[in-house]
Amino acid sequence: MVGLNALSKFFRKTIGPRIEALGLLPHRYYLHRALDALEQDNIDEAVRMLTLAGNDKKDSRWRLICQQVIFRCRVLAAQHEKQLRRFETEMEIFGKPAELVGTYLRLQNAEERAQDILRSYESSLLNQLSSSKSAPGRAD
Amino acid sequence: MTAERKLSIPGGLTGALVGLAAELALEEITGMELVNGLLAIIGAGFGLIRIDRRIYEATVNLIKRVPVEPNSDYRDVLQQIDEMSLELPELRESFVKLVQAGMEAQKA
Repeated sequence: MVGLNALSKFFRKTIGPRIEALGLLPHRYYLHRALDALEQDNIDEAVRMLTLAGNDKKDSRWRLICQQVIFRCRVLAAQHEKQLRRFETEMEIFGKPAELVGTYLRLQNAEERAQDILRSYESSLLNQLSSSKSAPGRAD
Repeated sequence: MTAERKLSIPGGLTGALVGLAAELALEEITGMELVNGLLAIIGAGFGLIRIDRRIYEATVNLIKRVPVEPNSDYRDVLQQIDEMSLELPELRESFVKLVQAGMEAQKA
C-alpha cells in the first residue's frame, strides 16, 4: 500500500506530465482530464487534453466534450464582450476623466486579449471537430 | 463437504481496530496518507470507467453556468443557449434531451 501511494505521488510530480504530453495514456484518461479542466474553466488545459485525446481517436465522447469546451469558450467570450461594452458606456457617461483613461484602456486591452485567446481556442477545436467528421472510420 | 462459515463480530471489530492502528502507525512513520492515496486511486479509476456520467454532469453544469440577466426570462436564456450552440450538433441534442427530461419531470 505504501509503495502504491508513493508511486502514484512520484508519478504525478515527476514523469506524469511528460508521459501525459506524449499521449501514451488511455484515451479516457485525457477525456477525464479535459472534463476536470472544463469544470475549473482552465480552457487551455482542456484544449491540450482534447488535442492529445484526439490524436488517438475522435469518438462520440470526444466530439461531445469538444463541443462542451467550445460552448464554454463562447459563454466566456460573451462575458468579456459585455464587460468591454460596460467600460465603453462608463467612459461615455463619465466623459473620459484623464486619471482613469489609462486604467480603462488597460482593462479594455485585457478584455480584448481574453476574447482573442478564447476565439483562437474555439477555432482550433472547431477545426479538430471538422477534421473528425471528414476522417472516415475514426468516429465510433 | 462445504465448511460452515461463522462470522464473528468481535473478530471483525478487532481486525478493523488493528487495521486502523497499523494505518496510523505507518502514517506517522512514513508521513504518507495511505487511505487518502488509495481512495484517490480508486476514485480516478471509477472516474475513468464512469466517463459518461461525468459528461452528462458537465453538460448540466454548462447550462447552469450560463449567465442570466436579472430582467431576462427563460426565452432569452434559451435564445442565448441556441446562439452559442451553433455548429455544435451533439451538444445541442444533449441540451434538447435535458429540456425534454425536465419538462417530463414537471408533468409527472
